[in-house]
Amino acid sequence: MIGRRTLFSGASATVALTSLVSSQMAQAAQTLDKVTNTGPRGADGRLKRLATLDLESQQDFTLGFRLMQAKKIRTASNNLFERIIATKGVDPASQITMEQLRELVDDEPAFNLAQKSWLANQQITWKTLRDHFHAHEEVYLGEMEAADKTGPGKLELNPNFDIPAYARHEIHIQPGGYVGDPYAGYIYHYGTNSFYISVIGHNEQDQIHKATAGRLPLPADGKVKRILDMGCGVGQLTLALKERFPDAEVWGIDAGGPMVRYAHMRANGLNNGANFAQRMAENTGFPDGYFDLVTSYIVHHELPAEITRKVIAEAQRVTRPGGVYYPIDFMSGGTKGTPKGMYSRWWDHRWNNEVWSLEYHSINFTDEIAARGFEIQKNAAAALPGFGVRHAVRA
Amino acid sequence: MAETKSERQTFAAEAIPSDVKNGVFLGNPVMDNLVSCMIAMGTELWATKRRMKVIEAVMEKKGITQKMIEQYVPTETEKVAWEQDRDRFIDLTLGPLGDDGFRAPGSDFPKRG
Repeated sequence: MIGRRTLFSGASATVALTSLVSSQMAQAAQTLDKVTNTGPRGADGRLKRLATLDLESQQDFTLGFRLMQAKKIRTASNNLFERIIATKGVDPASQITMEQLRELVDDEPAFNLAQKSWLANQQITWKTLRDHFHAHEEVYLGEMEAADKTGPGKLELNPNFDIPAYARHEIHIQPGGYVGDPYAGYIYHYGTNSFYISVIGHNEQDQIHKATAGRLPLPADGKVKRILDMGCGVGQLTLALKERFPDAEVWGIDAGGPMVRYAHMRANGLNNGANFAQRMAENTGFPDGYFDLVTSYIVHHELPAEITRKVIAEAQRVTRPGGVYYPIDFMSGGTKGTPKGMYSRWWDHRWNNEVWSLEYHSINFTDEIAARGFEIQKNAAAALPGFGVRHAVRA
Repeated sequence: MAETKSERQTFAAEAIPSDVKNGVFLGNPVMDNLVSCMIAMGTELWATKRRMKVIEAVMEKKGITQKMIEQYVPTETEKVAWEQDRDRFIDLTLGPLGDDGFRAPGSDFPKRG
């Protein structure tokens, strides 16, 4: 590796710069040869810095583009959308079918440029991350292997786990999705940081998950000894729950083996004793009435409606009487809306590969919970502002 | 998708791929591909610029200040070389804007001689 001292110790800056740029990946391989708790470039609080400056900068660009896209391109696109449908004689406040809408805008390149550029940017986010982690298999598989059998929390993986087809889609067009890439956890964690900044706010330090965990309501008797996070992904909410309830037995489960594997490794690094297991939310394997608090974080819109019903039933089974079930997800139950709103929802489903989101929006999630042995609490607070409020108590 | 170079256990399964790469949003896949290239180019350009910022920040800490860089006056030899490189850069990146395209992909060779 060319260190700072070497770089400026007598050789000309020009020569050193050329060497630095041209040998970047070679440096990365060398600097990554030690698996440390903080990574080759240190950590920014709870987040290991990405292993190369270029990879960090590539993510910085895609974040910047996403921010500009949200402010400028999308605004222009929305305005154009309204002009297009007005030109075609459609009232923007009216409700027309998705098929009619798609026909109206399909051939409008100025409108579709916004969609295309957004997708291209999303693809670059994933590709740059994926390429890096795959190029350094020894480092990243090595550090996960090293963490698998250490604690403080437990990790349960199943190499023969039968993952149903519904869970194997490349949600958000992430290559391999949540189950199909050995480095899915890394890719998801770093890739979604820019999602948060451009939509809700900074989350690099798990700020949003911590705040969400802090707002989750307790059972009326105040007893919280066991917590389950269904579909935990990389475990950000799971970790935050363990931090809020350090004496509780906290479990995060997910269909994606690489996701819980990464979550467990990260928990170890943070000395967080949450447990992680590769299990399905509709069949958790936990005893009846085992948990005081059962939650999930933006999972249900990634599930077919029928699976959502099964997951609610499973939550009812494993939540103790008086325990709280609070699944966090988008508001639902709306299959009609303004043309722009409906088109955006359809587009996200179709091209951001939110395969099950239309099914999710076709049901009333809160009513589905109420129909399966839970009492929905009136006037409850949102655990995640802007999302649905679903504070349910096991009858 | 689940494969790695080694035979090590990855706990990954076969994913169902999206068809995003087959989407045509701009009426012609070439236009779509050009937008993808532009975003990729921007990513790489920004990574380079950001690296320069890091290098300049490190250099400043070592005594080579921003002011020294800003006030640097190139030699006559450097001026000539840099102008040549500037023209090469512009011709490479923006020269195609001046291409005079009017023949369809299926058109015959023009008559010659």
